[in-house]
Amino acid sequence: MLNEFAYAGDGDPHEALSRARDLVRRVRTAQRATWFPLLVFAAVTFAAIPIERYGGYHVVTCRAIATPQGRGLGCVAYSNALFVYWPIALILSYVGIAAFYAHQSRKRGVGTRVRPYVIAGIVLAVAVTAATVWVAHNASLSVDAGLPAQQVSDLAGRLARPTFAIGLALLVLVWAERNLALLVFMVGYLVILLAPVTFGWVLMGRWAFAPQLVIPGGLLLLGAIGFAIAQRPARLSPA
Amino acid sequence: MTGHPAIGLDDVVHQRVRLGILAIAHEARRVEFGFLRSNLELTAGNLSQHLGVLENAGLIAIEKGYEGKRARTWITLTKAGQAALAEEITQLKRLISQVDRAGKPHA
Repeated sequence: MLNEFAYAGDGDPHEALSRARDLVRRVRTAQRATWFPLLVFAAVTFAAIPIERYGGYHVVTCRAIATPQGRGLGCVAYSNALFVYWPIALILSYVGIAAFYAHQSRKRGVGTRVRPYVIAGIVLAVAVTAATVWVAHNASLSVDAGLPAQQVSDLAGRLARPTFAIGLALLVLVWAERNLALLVFMVGYLVILLAPVTFGWVLMGRWAFAPQLVIPGGLLLLGAIGFAIAQRPARLSPA
Repeated sequence: MTGHPAIGLDDVVHQRVRLGILAIAHEARRVEFGFLRSNLELTAGNLSQHLGVLENAGLIAIEKGYEGKRARTWITLTKAGQAALAEEITQLKRLISQVDRAGKPHA
């Protein structure tokens, strides 16, 4: 038979394709370092907590409002951390992640596809800063606009969080690493961030923002530990 | 293509080791000699021979350099190499589908 003749020395076509796929899987395993960006962003998120608490606020606008105790002053303000700490921390993180992947690439002997992730991350870091400015200025308009407008404003506020931008950029890493486990993890992460999930933890006053950072930071840290354990054999095996 | 898929197979590409080199280089974009040697389980001399065949056919580019004091050889797929690999995979899939069809009992 012609087929048997053509593959007399190199196995059948099923075997040839299967072997090629196996080699591709080995390359992908060697390219992955999912734990590292997750760990970096967990650290960046936890470090933001004291900075957001003690970094000061910028007041956008104040107006007289009616309160149960009588007339008072309602102000829209945002943390300075959103405009100074987060953009700098995110961009430095992406530069560090790119350097880590380049180092790992040289060490393991395989190229890396991390560039689209780093570019997407930096673009999103800039976009989220711009979105935060927009949300901060438009939040003042929704004070008198009723409940639906307030809900839209809350959702916009969650979308404009740096922790959401981190998650969106990590979806590009899912593609770059062809990493299904990371996709599942990131979908869960983004759903928890978008839904007003607090795990029953509600703080008032100046620490009210803390769950918005502790929950994503904790998820990223758990993810980093999980992927570090899952990818450990690949890291320990010789290149 | 209307002929038998096996006729469209390129001897340079469909050889077992060389197909492996192209598959790895395509996925990795840039791959080091040592990674190829350990994953294809070849001796350095044997791998060099296969790389020479692929380089002469214009399917890969070989770049030699140093990292510190250590000599490193990096392999990248050329555009011709990408096209050849894509064609090989297409032909293999056609061949498999023809073999599968031939193996099915007639209605």
